[in-house]
Amino acid sequence: MALIETKDIWRTYDMGHEKVHALRGVSIVIEKGEYVAIMGPSGSGKSTLMNLIGCLDTPSKGEYYLNSKAVNTLDDNELANIRNREIGFVFQTFNLLPRATSLHNVELPLIYNGTSTQERIVKAKEALAKVDLADRITHKPNELSGGERQRVAIARALVNNPSLILADEPTGNLDSKTSEEIMKLFDRLHSQGNTIITVTHEQSVASHAHRIISLFDGAVASDKRIN
Amino acid sequence: MIGFSIFGIAVNAIRANKLRSSLTLLGIVFGMVSIMTIISALEGMTNSIKAEIGRLGPSTFMVAKMMITTSREDYFKKIKRKSIDLKSADLITNECNLCEKVSPRTFAQARIKYGSEYIRDGRIMAGTYNLIDIIDIEVAQGRFHSMEDDLHRSQVVLIGDGVKEKLFSGIDPIGKTLRVGSKKYTIIGIAKKLGPMFGQERDNFVVMPLSTYGAHFGQTRRGLNIVIKALSVEKLEDAMDEVRLLLRSQRGVAYDEEDDFDMMTADIFLELLNSITRVFRIALIGVSSISIVVGGIVVMNVMMVAVSERTREIGIRKAIGAKRRHILLQFLFESLILTSSGGLVGMVIGHLLAKFLVGMIDMNISPSALAIIAGLSISMGTGLVFGIYPALKAAKLDPIKALSFE
Ligand SMILES: Nc1ncnc2c1ncn2[C@@H]1O[C@H](COP(=O)(O)OP(=O)(O)OP(=O)(O)O)[C@@H](O)[C@H]1O
Ligand SMILES: [Mg+2]
Repeated sequence: MALIETKDIWRTYDMGHEKVHALRGVSIVIEKGEYVAIMGPSGSGKSTLMNLIGCLDTPSKGEYYLNSKAVNTLDDNELANIRNREIGFVFQTFNLLPRATSLHNVELPLIYNGTSTQERIVKAKEALAKVDLADRITHKPNELSGGERQRVAIARALVNNPSLILADEPTGNLDSKTSEEIMKLFDRLHSQGNTIITVTHEQSVASHAHRIISLFDGAVASDKRIN
Repeated sequence: MIGFSIFGIAVNAIRANKLRSSLTLLGIVFGMVSIMTIISALEGMTNSIKAEIGRLGPSTFMVAKMMITTSREDYFKKIKRKSIDLKSADLITNECNLCEKVSPRTFAQARIKYGSEYIRDGRIMAGTYNLIDIIDIEVAQGRFHSMEDDLHRSQVVLIGDGVKEKLFSGIDPIGKTLRVGSKKYTIIGIAKKLGPMFGQERDNFVVMPLSTYGAHFGQTRRGLNIVIKALSVEKLEDAMDEVRLLLRSQRGVAYDEEDDFDMMTADIFLELLNSITRVFRIALIGVSSISIVVGGIVVMNVMMVAVSERTREIGIRKAIGAKRRHILLQFLFESLILTSSGGLVGMVIGHLLAKFLVGMIDMNISPSALAIIAGLSISMGTGLVFGIYPALKAAKLDPIKALSFE
């Protein structure tokens, strides 16, 4: 069974006077260990799809299976559990807690599954080492560069050993040199067996992936394997 | 375990906003100060009165034509009653089997004078020789009057410590002659100091034989007050019934009429006292609760601001797996910490204030367990009631909307 399987999922926003279909029947299958880039013009539904895959949102219609579990039937608590254990989210704007140190930001997901304090620190330090930030654990976000902030966010996404890393335009706020560093990091994580899905506008970023899914107007326009 | 970590998160959030947090506390602090002051002062007052009444002893009761009146009508009804006189006291002394000691007494006020010094409103207590065994006055020096003094209407007095201090500084009063009203009395004893209560001096008194008093001052309008000690605490009720029957038949009270005299034990008096202070308590606490409510509303306001300021933080927490209850708990902890620390500060200040106020009327108070428990539960309750809405609001936020909140 595939890691991700969506069957004709729709996401419709009811705006009162009109209905906005952000997704119109998306069916995709993604296997464990894949490295997928999602592309498409602005407003084509990339973020909407990522949020659904990441269990931050549920489809208006259709079925979504993650690790064979029917996500569309789960309640709020079960979705939170999946977000906590199965998914590591990386955002364009980093989304770190501004007043917290790198260490605390990274240990945050562990707090919500009851990991003990000592274990949290050990795991958070490990995750920070994986993104080469072992020497920045007491820094707060405003004491870090953009690339470093994104690496802290990636460490946070990794800390629970998730089955899936989702990144929505992870390099959107970074210059090209820093972007390249982040993409190298993703390459490394992928080679270590992580499944990665990333949304991007840039061909150079997408070229790191092994498969490119293009969305247009809420539907899959193309699905190609590269490399 | 998760609860502990979330508590830590709440503490950090409060510490990150020290000034705002302490301003938020103020409302609760003020409310708690007023509640605590009132509770402590009332507690202290009732405790002193209780201690005072307790000295009567649990097996002792009093009989008089009127003891406590609850209204004007009550007063006018009771004042018309026949006085309790020595005949009643004799009857009880002779006939009551369950009564161990029977001592009639009466009170009056008069000028107490020695040499050129005097006390204007001195208290006179007149009783039989055995009064000293029943009431709380103790002889410090000399003696109380005897049965012979009662028989011979001796002109002797036991003086209170206040009388000694005021009229006899540096002189031994025993054997000296002082004036009470217009008559002269020889001092045979000095009582132990009682100390003032509620700012009232209680040591400016003299005690003389009841027979002497009757000869010199005549009957008082209120008649006698008979102090009776039952054989034991268990026999108290029965002894009271016995006395009641004796007095009713002596005074010719028909079977379907109520007693034409008052009987009172320490317990009855305490109950009465409680019912009086209860109304006070409820009214005063009701008033000061308003300030607690105002404090609660301040907390709620601040928490609402905190929730909207930290919408993004909530979104981040939810995105990485925080459940609704985790967010709820985090914000509820914050308001609980705010209100209970405000409550604690308020309780300490309130207690000190009560101590100061009550100290001015010669009374001691200690924080009662009741006041501490009440104070803590009120402040925690306030945190809960006014914190739940903002916390629920935070918990219900949609993660995507919260994350894209500017
Ligand atoms: N909360 C919402 N309410 C109403 N419409 C929405 C909402 N979120 C997204 N949409 C609409 O859904 C469509 C898809 O939005 P989405 O954010 O998925 O686009 P995107 O492909 O990520 O675009 P971009 O590249 O600009 O990030 C858009 O037309 C957007 O206006
Ligand atoms: Mg987007």
